[in-house]
Amino acid sequence: MSRMTSTCPSPLRFWLVLGVLAILMGLLAARAVYLQVLSSGYLQSQGHSRHLRTVEDSSHRGVIKDRNGEPLAISTPVDSVWAHPGELAEAKTRWPELAKRLDLTAAELAQLVNRHAGREFMYLKRHVTPQVAEAVKALNIPGVALTREYRRYYPAGAVTGHVVGFTNVDDQGQEGLELVHNDWLRATPGKKRVLKDRLGNIVETVESVSLPVPGQDLTLSIDRRVQFLVYSELKEAVERHKARAASAVVLDVQTGEVLALVNEPGFNPNNRGRLRSQAFRNRAVTDVFEPGSTSKPFTIAAALETGRVTPTSVIDTAPGVLQIGQYPIRDVHNYGALTVAQVVEKSSNVGASKIALSVDKNVLWRVYRDFGFGAVTGGGLPGESPGLLRPAARWATVDHASMSFGYGMSVTTLQLARAYGALANDGVLLPVSLLRRDAPPDGKRVLSAATAGRVRAMLELAAGRGGTGSAAQVAQYRVAGKTGTAHKLAAGGGHAENSYIASFAGFAPASRPRLVLVVMVDDPASGGHFGGQIAAPVFSKVMAGALRLLNIAPDDWSGPPPVVVEGAPPKPAAHAAAGGTT
Amino acid sequence: MSAIGAISERPSQGARTAGRAAPRWDSWLLGATLVLLMLGLIMVYSASVSIASRAGNSGYFLVRQALAAAVGLAAMAVVAHSAIRLWERAGPYLLLLAIVLLAAVLVPGVGVNVNSSTRWISLGVVNLQPSELAKLFVVIYVAGYLVRRQDRLIYFTGGVAMMGMVVAAIGLLLLLEPDYGALLVILLTVLAMLFLGGVRFWHFLLVVATAAGSMALLAVIAPYRLARVTGFLDPWADPFNKGFQLTQALIAFGRGEWLGVGLGASVQKLFYLPAAHTDFLLAVLAEELGLIGVLGVMGLFSIIVWRAFAIARQAERVGELYGARLAQGLGVLLALQAMINMGVNMGVLPTKGLTLPLVSYGGSSVVASCIAVGLLLMVDRQTGRRRWGTR
Repeated sequence: MSRMTSTCPSPLRFWLVLGVLAILMGLLAARAVYLQVLSSGYLQSQGHSRHLRTVEDSSHRGVIKDRNGEPLAISTPVDSVWAHPGELAEAKTRWPELAKRLDLTAAELAQLVNRHAGREFMYLKRHVTPQVAEAVKALNIPGVALTREYRRYYPAGAVTGHVVGFTNVDDQGQEGLELVHNDWLRATPGKKRVLKDRLGNIVETVESVSLPVPGQDLTLSIDRRVQFLVYSELKEAVERHKARAASAVVLDVQTGEVLALVNEPGFNPNNRGRLRSQAFRNRAVTDVFEPGSTSKPFTIAAALETGRVTPTSVIDTAPGVLQIGQYPIRDVHNYGALTVAQVVEKSSNVGASKIALSVDKNVLWRVYRDFGFGAVTGGGLPGESPGLLRPAARWATVDHASMSFGYGMSVTTLQLARAYGALANDGVLLPVSLLRRDAPPDGKRVLSAATAGRVRAMLELAAGRGGTGSAAQVAQYRVAGKTGTAHKLAAGGGHAENSYIASFAGFAPASRPRLVLVVMVDDPASGGHFGGQIAAPVFSKVMAGALRLLNIAPDDWSGPPPVVVEGAPPKPAAHAAAGGTT
Repeated sequence: MSAIGAISERPSQGARTAGRAAPRWDSWLLGATLVLLMLGLIMVYSASVSIASRAGNSGYFLVRQALAAAVGLAAMAVVAHSAIRLWERAGPYLLLLAIVLLAAVLVPGVGVNVNSSTRWISLGVVNLQPSELAKLFVVIYVAGYLVRRQDRLIYFTGGVAMMGMVVAAIGLLLLLEPDYGALLVILLTVLAMLFLGGVRFWHFLLVVATAAGSMALLAVIAPYRLARVTGFLDPWADPFNKGFQLTQALIAFGRGEWLGVGLGASVQKLFYLPAAHTDFLLAVLAEELGLIGVLGVMGLFSIIVWRAFAIARQAERVGELYGARLAQGLGVLLALQAMINMGVNMGVLPTKGLTLPLVSYGGSSVVASCIAVGLLLMVDRQTGRRRWGTR
């Protein structure tokens, strides 16, 4: 290998170079075999840990319907905008247009991206409108994509706000029946294994690990039409009387189903942007109040049931004041001698107190307890209050007396409605339900049917022309009910002088009760403060509408003949008119 | 000599039938080149489609690569028809041009910086990568030098040292870009050419030792080079930083197995593997076409190198020394570039910015590789025809 001749370089060198190249190529081929055949298992597992991800396969939440199948809560598919923070950070020049589309400031977007630096996923904005989704998609910014989610929509809006409640952005119930029945309503997300590119986009579904199960539908006892009626009348009353709040409950007498449950102030669950949690309060079950005279029928029932009095027993209420120790119990007027029925009709506190004191306090307590006071109704709404019914052993004489006109105890609107339901249902107390019942439930007899009938007759008087609740009357239907007016408890103890709870509890048709309605108005500031002035008119309007909506036959033919609707057969005027109804 | 004679046998000769003219061009060389070019177009499209789609034009890289291939084929045709003496004489000027272009890259405002390397000159729509041309021009020049200074190659100063200065000048410019891949290819190619050209063996050893020493020095001076060296040795030690690209490439190979996941079905190209359509195209090819595809590519490059050396042998036999040196140099150049790229892809060499000739995306690389094949065809045409004429 010393000196080369000019024309013929060494063939040895030629072969040497070619040989080295061939050997190198052979080594590379061996390396390829090693990678692609011998260690492909390890390399593929490394690949899988980078490519394969198990993701949730979402499905929709169950529909909430009213008793007639009308939707009250439905899930609609919407898009949420998400991003791969690292990718988005690289596309900084596109930030302004993205921020504009998402209605964020540049600083907010920058802060969002920075906060998620190093992660693989971040939401930019959830549940955007289809227009925003389209606009974001059209921007085609690296690392920004849409994902399918479900948003809850409440067709009845504020009308069913408190009953139905609402879900959070993750489709989980937060309030109302959405919360109570969350497990039933919620979808079980499926799992699927997917192949993702490095930006997180799903390239291919490799296998389905478990299928998504949509949530189950829920049928409520609520009747949307009745609910709307209650809602609009209650809202109007609150506005007219400048009241602080109000609530109302309609029950089906025969089944214990809640046909309507409304509170004011309400909220629109579809748009709860800046609402204070105050508005979310389902006052009809969470807030208690002293029932006032609406509790009188239960004292009377106890006295009748124990045989202490009969409806015609005479009670002397003169001079309109009863002094018990240092506490005077007053009537609005001096009624003089009243029958038991008149005590209810005129709502005499003195008469009711005397009747109450004639009944053993333990018996009285037992009756109140049996009617469901001092215990939750089991209606199944979150945050329900049991009210207050102190044990009889702790009653002073004045407490014993004041139980008869609803002081010293407190109830919820729903509780009161349920108790009136027992009076209407021949003395059988039914469990309430917010879900539709196909058959009447087993109730508990708390009063003999005969006594219940007597109390009903008195309540019909109370809602009659001479009663405190005459404003509750409904044309062509006989109505039974009792007004209640109670001084509100003052913050510093005792009762406030000029602050009242006005209520009316009753049912109709009185001959064969079908609907119970309790209206409670908190602190009316204008147009009076008596239950008969404030709550009874609401009762009248709602009951009139509800009875007709539910096709309940009229039972009162004493009034003027009904307006004949064209095409409808004229209704027989059974009884000749003996005085007007209203 | 009989063995050498065997290698220069034209493969097509066996198929030749009496009375029919011999193929005008080396059909193995031309065929392998065209197959690699086509395969390159397909794979560049497959590997780049998702990246290009994000910019709104899925065919962006395909169209540009196809245009480069068209330009390359035209250049190949022109070069193949040129005269061998033209190139021998043009050698020094081309070297000068290479130096000027490499220097121009370093002028601020002329060079285009990509990933902290300045390797491109912007020509409006396309970018020119002078290092790709420099590799070619150095081979053209060195082949001429070896022939002109044939009788002085035995002296160290007149032979090896002069060559060393030329390479050092080019090398310095490449270091400044930096483009270590091109530098390595040029260095090794020139060494191989000197060896084949007949420098004294101990001179050769001295040059090899110097080259190895300076490479080692480089790794120390530029610490990120060292990090790359350690990174490639065990990419799994730091798979999300230093080893990121390499582990992704290895995963692509592993996913390919024997027959591949199928054309277009690569997952690694979906933003996992950086430079999937350029330097790491082979990894995507390995994933989609499997071991069969990789061995096929190796086979095609082997055919090109084999034909280059056969043409060199043939030129030598007819006394066309310049043609022989040129063909040898081009063969070594293409072989080294292809093998270094493959080695990088498979994790046996540290990552360099080197394309797979004829296949990877990159206009300058495709055109330069086509010209190299054109030069081989030209040497073959001008040395073979005489031989055919004697038959």
